[in-house]
Amino acid sequence: MADAAAHAYDHDHKVGFFTRWFCSTNHKDIGVLYLITASVMGLIAVLFSGYMRLELMEAGVQYMTNDDGSPNGHLWNIMITGHGILMMFFVIIPAMFGGFGNYFMPLQIGAPDMAFPRMNNLSYWLYVSGCTMALLSVVVPGGNEQGGSGVGWVLYAPLSTSEGGIATDFAIFALHLSGASTILGSINMITTFLNMRAPGMKLMKVPLFPWSIFATAWMSLLSLPVLAGAITMLLTDRNFGTAFFQPEGGGDPLLYQHIFWFFGHPEVYMLIVPAFGVVSHVVSTFSRKPVFGYAAMVAAMLIISALGFVVWAHHMYTVGMSVNSQAYFMLATLTIAVPTGVKVFSWIATMWGGSIEFRTPMLYAFGFIFLFTFGGVTGIVLSQAGVDRAYHDTYYVVAHFHYVMSLGAVFGIFAGLYYWIGKISGRQYDEKLGKIQFWTMFIGANITFFPQHFIGRQGMPRRYLDYPEAFEFYHFISSLGAFISIASFFLFLYIMIQTVRSGQRVTEENYWDDQYPALEWSLPNPPPAHTFETLPTPAEWDKQQPAHH
Amino acid sequence: MAENTDIAAGGRPSAVTASGTVWRDRKDKPVYEVVLWPNQSLTRPGLSWFLGISAAFLILPAATIIGTAVFWGLIPFLVLSFIGVWFAIRRNGRNLSLSETLWIWRDEVRVERREPSGKRLRWQAEPMRVRLRIHKDAKIEDYLTLSGGGRIIELGAFLAPEERIALADEIEAALTRAIRA
Repeated sequence: MADAAAHAYDHDHKVGFFTRWFCSTNHKDIGVLYLITASVMGLIAVLFSGYMRLELMEAGVQYMTNDDGSPNGHLWNIMITGHGILMMFFVIIPAMFGGFGNYFMPLQIGAPDMAFPRMNNLSYWLYVSGCTMALLSVVVPGGNEQGGSGVGWVLYAPLSTSEGGIATDFAIFALHLSGASTILGSINMITTFLNMRAPGMKLMKVPLFPWSIFATAWMSLLSLPVLAGAITMLLTDRNFGTAFFQPEGGGDPLLYQHIFWFFGHPEVYMLIVPAFGVVSHVVSTFSRKPVFGYAAMVAAMLIISALGFVVWAHHMYTVGMSVNSQAYFMLATLTIAVPTGVKVFSWIATMWGGSIEFRTPMLYAFGFIFLFTFGGVTGIVLSQAGVDRAYHDTYYVVAHFHYVMSLGAVFGIFAGLYYWIGKISGRQYDEKLGKIQFWTMFIGANITFFPQHFIGRQGMPRRYLDYPEAFEFYHFISSLGAFISIASFFLFLYIMIQTVRSGQRVTEENYWDDQYPALEWSLPNPPPAHTFETLPTPAEWDKQQPAHH
Repeated sequence: MAENTDIAAGGRPSAVTASGTVWRDRKDKPVYEVVLWPNQSLTRPGLSWFLGISAAFLILPAATIIGTAVFWGLIPFLVLSFIGVWFAIRRNGRNLSLSETLWIWRDEVRVERREPSGKRLRWQAEPMRVRLRIHKDAKIEDYLTLSGGGRIIELGAFLAPEERIALADEIEAALTRAIRA
C-alpha cells in the first residue's frame, strides 16, 4: 500500500513558466491556454471580417484589388474562407468547450482533474497545430495563381477538389488537426463527466454547464469523425486520383454536401449548447433564483443535440431533393423549436419574480436570450423548404446564422468570461467599462446584422465581393455596425488585459453571492493548482441540488 | 464502502500479482473486515446505455450512404471514434479500480491494497501495536494512517473526510474488540 509519506503533507505546486504553460496537464491551465489562443484567433477572424465589411461599405471594389486596380475576387474568397474556418473551428468551440469546459466542468462536478490529463495537453497542442495550418492556408500558394484557399469554410466539392495550389490541402489538414483535437477532448470530457462525478452526484444533480459540455462532447464525438472521413476523401480526390466527389470520375459532389452537413448541423449546436449552460448559470445567479425546470432544461439540451443529427439536409433544399425528403427535413427542423422554446421560457421563468441585477454577465445573458430567440425565429422561416428557395444563399441566411452565432454563441463567451474572470484570475473587471463594452457590442452587432435581413430579402447573394448600388444603403449601415462591434471587441480585449494585470483583487469565494452556487464558488480566486483531491461531499454542493427546487 | 467493486465501469480488477509480505492462509473469521475503493460515478448499465446510443448515432450517417464508395471512406473514422471512447472509459475505470481491504483478527491486522495494475501491496501488524492516527495538518483533510509492523501506511486516502473519520471510529472499536477478545 501507499506509505503515508506519499500524501502526508502539503507540497507546493511550484513549476516554472515553461513547464506550467507548455507542458501543462492541469485542466485549469489548459482551459486558460484555450481561452487565450481562441482570443488571438478571434482577433484575426474579426480583422478578416472588418476587411470584408470595409470593402462592402460601398458598391464597387475599392480595397480588394489587384495591382492594376481590377477586383481581386480570390482575395475576397480567402477572407470568406479564413473567417469561416477560424470562427467555426478555432474560436468559438475552443473558447467554450476547450476553455470553459476544461476549466469549469471538472470543478462543477467535483473531479480533481480531467480523466486523461496528458491527452488534454495533446488536444490543446493539436488545436494549436491546427491554428497554424489554418493561418498558413491563408498565405501559402492557392488557386487562381495566388496565395490562400478560397473555397469557403464548407469546402464544397468540386471547387475544393479542383482548386490549385496547396492552400486548400492546408485548410483540410487544419480541420483534421482541429477535429482530432476536439475528438480527443470530447472523449476526455465524456469520460470525466460520466465516471468522475463527486460521490452522490447523480446525473440529475449535475449543474447545467457540465451537462452542456457533455452534450457538446457527445455531438463532437458522433459528428466529427464524419467530417474527418469526408475531408480525407477530399484530400485523396485532390492528391491521389480518387473520385469520391469528382463527377468526371463517377463521384458525387452532392454526397459530400450530405455528409458535410451531417457534421455541419450538429456543429452549429456544438457552438451554441455550451452557451446554454453558461447562460443558465448566469441567469440563475443574477436573478437570485434556481434555474426553473431543471429536468426540462437537461432534456431540452439532449433533445436538441439528438435532433441536430436528423435535420442536416435543410441546408441543401435547393440541390434537387425529392419533395418527400424536403417535407421530412422541414418538419424535423421545425420540431427543434419545441425544446428550444422550453429553454427560452425556462430562462424567462427563472428571471420571473427574481431579484434581477444587471451586471455585465447578466446583460450578456439577457442579450443572448433575446437575440438567440430572434435568430431562432429566422431559422424557423428558413426551415420552410418553399421559402428557402428564395432565401437560400442570400444575406438573409448570413443574418440568421450570425444572430445565432455572432450574437448567440459569442455573447455566451462574453457572458462566461465576465462571470468567471474573477474566479480564473483572482481579479475583477471594471463594471463600468464592462457595461460600455456590452452596449457597444449589442448595438454594433445588431446594426451589422439586422439590415442584412432586408438586403437578403431583396436578393443580395452571400459571398459576393461587389453588388448593385441598390443594396448600398444597408451595406453601408451594416459596415458601420461592424466597425462599432470591432471597436467593442478591442475594448473587451483591453478590459480583460487590464483585469488580469491590475484589476481589483477578489477574495470572496462566492463573489456574485450566488444563492445556489455550484462547486467552483467554494474555491479561492483563483483556485489552487490541485482541487478536489479529497472529493467533495453532497453537503458541499447541496445548495445547488437542482432537483430540490 | 464494502460492496462488490465489479459494478464500476472499469470492470473486474486486472489479474493480481502479490508483492511484499507473504501471508499464510487464514480461514478463521476476522473480528472486522472492510473493503475500500475510490468513487466511480458510471455504472455498468450506464456504460452500456451510453455506448449503445452512441453506436446508433454513429451508424446513422453510414446507413444513409450504404452502397457508395464514400461509405467505405467513412467507416474507419466512425469505428475509430467508437473504439476510442469505449477504450477511454474502460481505461479510466481501471485507473480508478484500486481497492484497500482491512482485516482485524485477535492476533493480526492485515491490509492489502490492489493497485490498478493488479499489483498487491500488503502490510501486517499485531493489533496491540497498531496505532491509528487522523492527521489534521496534512494535505488531505483528516488523513488516516495506521502504524505498526515498522511502517506507517495510509488508509482510504481517496475517501471523503467524514468517511475517513467514520472508518477510523470503526477500526478503533474493532481493534479494542480484538484486543479484549
